[in-house]
Amino acid sequence: MNPGSQAPTPLLELRGLGKRFGAVTALAEVNFELQAGEIHALLGENGAGKSTLIKILGGLHRPDAGVIRVAGQVVAIPDVAAADRLGIRLLHQELSLAPNLSVAENIFLGREPARFGFLDRGRLQIQAQALVTELGLPEIGPVAARVADLSVAQQQLVEIARALSARARILILDEPTASLSAAETSALFVKLRGLCRQGVGIIYISHRLEEIQQLAHRVTVLRDGRSIGTQISAELDQAALIHWMVGRDLAAHYPRPPWHPGAVALQVRNLRNAQVHDVSFDLHAGEILGFAGLVGAGRTELARALFGLDPLHAGEIRVGGLSVHFRCPGDALAAGIAFVPEDRKGAGLVMTASVAFNLALPWVREWIRGCVPNLRRRSQIVSRAVQNFGIKISDPEQAIGSLSGGNQQKVVVGKWMEHPPRILILDEPTRGVDVGAREEMFAILHRLVAQGMAIVLISSDLPEVMNLSHRLALYRSGRIVREVAAQDITPEAVMAELTRN
Amino acid sequence: MTSAFKSIRSGLPLLLAIAVLMGLFRIWVPQFLGAENLLDLAQQISVNAILAYGMTLVILIGGIDLSVGAVVALVGTVTVAGLAHHGVALGICAGFAMATLFGIINGVCAAGTRMPPFIITLATMLVARGVALRFNDGRPLAVPDAERFFLGLGNARLFGFLPVPVLLMLAAFTVTAVLLHRTRWGQHLYAIGGNREAARFTGIPLARNEVLVYVLCALLAGLAGMIHASQLYSAEPAAGQGFELNAIAAVVVGGTSFTGGIGSVRGTLIGAIVIGVLDKGLNQAGVHFSLQYIVKGLVILAAVYLDVRRRKQ
Repeated sequence: MNPGSQAPTPLLELRGLGKRFGAVTALAEVNFELQAGEIHALLGENGAGKSTLIKILGGLHRPDAGVIRVAGQVVAIPDVAAADRLGIRLLHQELSLAPNLSVAENIFLGREPARFGFLDRGRLQIQAQALVTELGLPEIGPVAARVADLSVAQQQLVEIARALSARARILILDEPTASLSAAETSALFVKLRGLCRQGVGIIYISHRLEEIQQLAHRVTVLRDGRSIGTQISAELDQAALIHWMVGRDLAAHYPRPPWHPGAVALQVRNLRNAQVHDVSFDLHAGEILGFAGLVGAGRTELARALFGLDPLHAGEIRVGGLSVHFRCPGDALAAGIAFVPEDRKGAGLVMTASVAFNLALPWVREWIRGCVPNLRRRSQIVSRAVQNFGIKISDPEQAIGSLSGGNQQKVVVGKWMEHPPRILILDEPTRGVDVGAREEMFAILHRLVAQGMAIVLISSDLPEVMNLSHRLALYRSGRIVREVAAQDITPEAVMAELTRN
Repeated sequence: MTSAFKSIRSGLPLLLAIAVLMGLFRIWVPQFLGAENLLDLAQQISVNAILAYGMTLVILIGGIDLSVGAVVALVGTVTVAGLAHHGVALGICAGFAMATLFGIINGVCAAGTRMPPFIITLATMLVARGVALRFNDGRPLAVPDAERFFLGLGNARLFGFLPVPVLLMLAAFTVTAVLLHRTRWGQHLYAIGGNREAARFTGIPLARNEVLVYVLCALLAGLAGMIHASQLYSAEPAAGQGFELNAIAAVVVGGTSFTGGIGSVRGTLIGAIVIGVLDKGLNQAGVHFSLQYIVKGLVILAAVYLDVRRRKQ
């Protein structure tokens, strides 16, 4: 297909869309069009306005300016029901299924077939099965299964089936592959291409540029609330995409920091528990040891054991040569190990509180003595972290939830740096973070390593973990299957090792 | 501290509401704003406020304590039984020991098991009530007239003017507010209530803090129980029914979030005053008690609705 040429009336057309929240302009002027049967990628750094835009289309926000046309008709989308009627379906980053219900019940949630006002289970099953077959999504498995028992990838397909059963013409996917493996991702892509051939228009949002090039017909870039332009994705290479998106070159995409390993900071010998099977490694000061693995390889479980969150069955941990035994995270922190967890909102931040509260929390001991808080010391701790890590805020007391993902991540890392730990464990530190903030995070890691910190980097982003780490521990099913200097191995060899059975 | 500053600002609408209520009741009841009537009002608020401070801490960390009403009755009975036989000092010690015991049971169950605090404290509420009823075959225990100190807790007036329960309410306020808003422990409670996992990853010991919160809540319930028994001149094993609900009402009207992590002791005191003013005003205005329940229910609903809406913005 060639959606760029004099196409018929676009399925969706946005002209001059604008939206303000108080004094903040979220969208300045967005022009966008989506053809039937097209996959159109929406690209932009965090804060560029992507989520505001898709929330407007989903009926969650109302625009202040501009026109929305669906199939040529000017429409208003005041609420989610209106979006539904127009056939616009928004699939959030976090899945919105009811995990305790069956696949069939989820697909027809809110539109269950009924007889005399009672739920007709038999018809529900049959209709759901027919739909799954018709859409060609047999991977979902039996429609009577509970959604909680499915893999994340299968759940994603259930969401798509639900959207299409409601006769969605326009599907908006926000980072659908964030928690999918490579195989699941390519299976999803096959399905999405199939839907396109049936005339569905897809707006696709992802931070993974490779995916966009594989999948999208066209790319529209948003920067600071404006649509910068639309291009055929086949005509762009990755460097051009990045350049276009951030408005500047990222000279070296993922530069590796210089390697000056110091003394051994962490020694792990024959560590075992329910999920960790005989793991041993050394980590030096001033070094990044990358744990490469597929999602579910058990790297987070290893990190939890190192941090005193899960009990050990056997093995030894030495920090700076001294044998340690952690009963709780407090012990690990006292020994100089800090852990930045993967789930920023669930485990990294106190979302009910302010930026300052989160940054000052680990150091309460320093700014409260007895019942005398030293607020000057507190704001010193806070402003130092804000400056050193370039956290963009208007007021330290603003709610942490009002920051972008990248800035929140800087808070999770920055809160430990008043007295930097000797060893820092980072679990997926750039997950859900845009390219610009990712680059800043890399710069932060470079600085910390140069200061002699020892870093354990867990990342499922292969280019990232390969290019940032000095040494790689290839991790599979709770074991280190190979340890290698990062410059001595190719991505293909790493992938081959990680996917071997 | 930020949370404290915020609570002053967020307390303003409630303070206004109190002023409006008082003005309204002044129209119906001419003596409503008289000094004696206001002191009486403060005295009536004191037991609920003291219970509500403890409840604030529990709700702040995402828990709930339904046992406080029964603990009021149990501690009253234990204390009065104790002081009749062994003197006032031992009686009071025995009362606080009993309160501590229930606090520890609640806290250890909540922190150490996956049982929901609602169920744990529902069960300990029944146990505490049952134990209270075991004393003296469930009949009230009169406080001997000679126990001037104990009777003073609920009835005396300092300098012939300030009711002692009001002083105790203010003292308990100061202690709880300082603990919550000015100590490391308080910061840790906000973190635990806001996000348990994040608190864990920051190295905050969860179990110890949680047990301490339930113990403090039970101790405050014990103090309230002693004041209550003193005010009644006797320990009633059936006393304190529904006190836990009144305390919860004061906490939520005062702006503490039921999901944890947001709230203040100051707000709770204001919430307790709102409820106290309503109770006393409606009573003095001669409103039928059936109507009093309805009005109180609607006021709580409105207060919490406004709070939730404000927070959403």
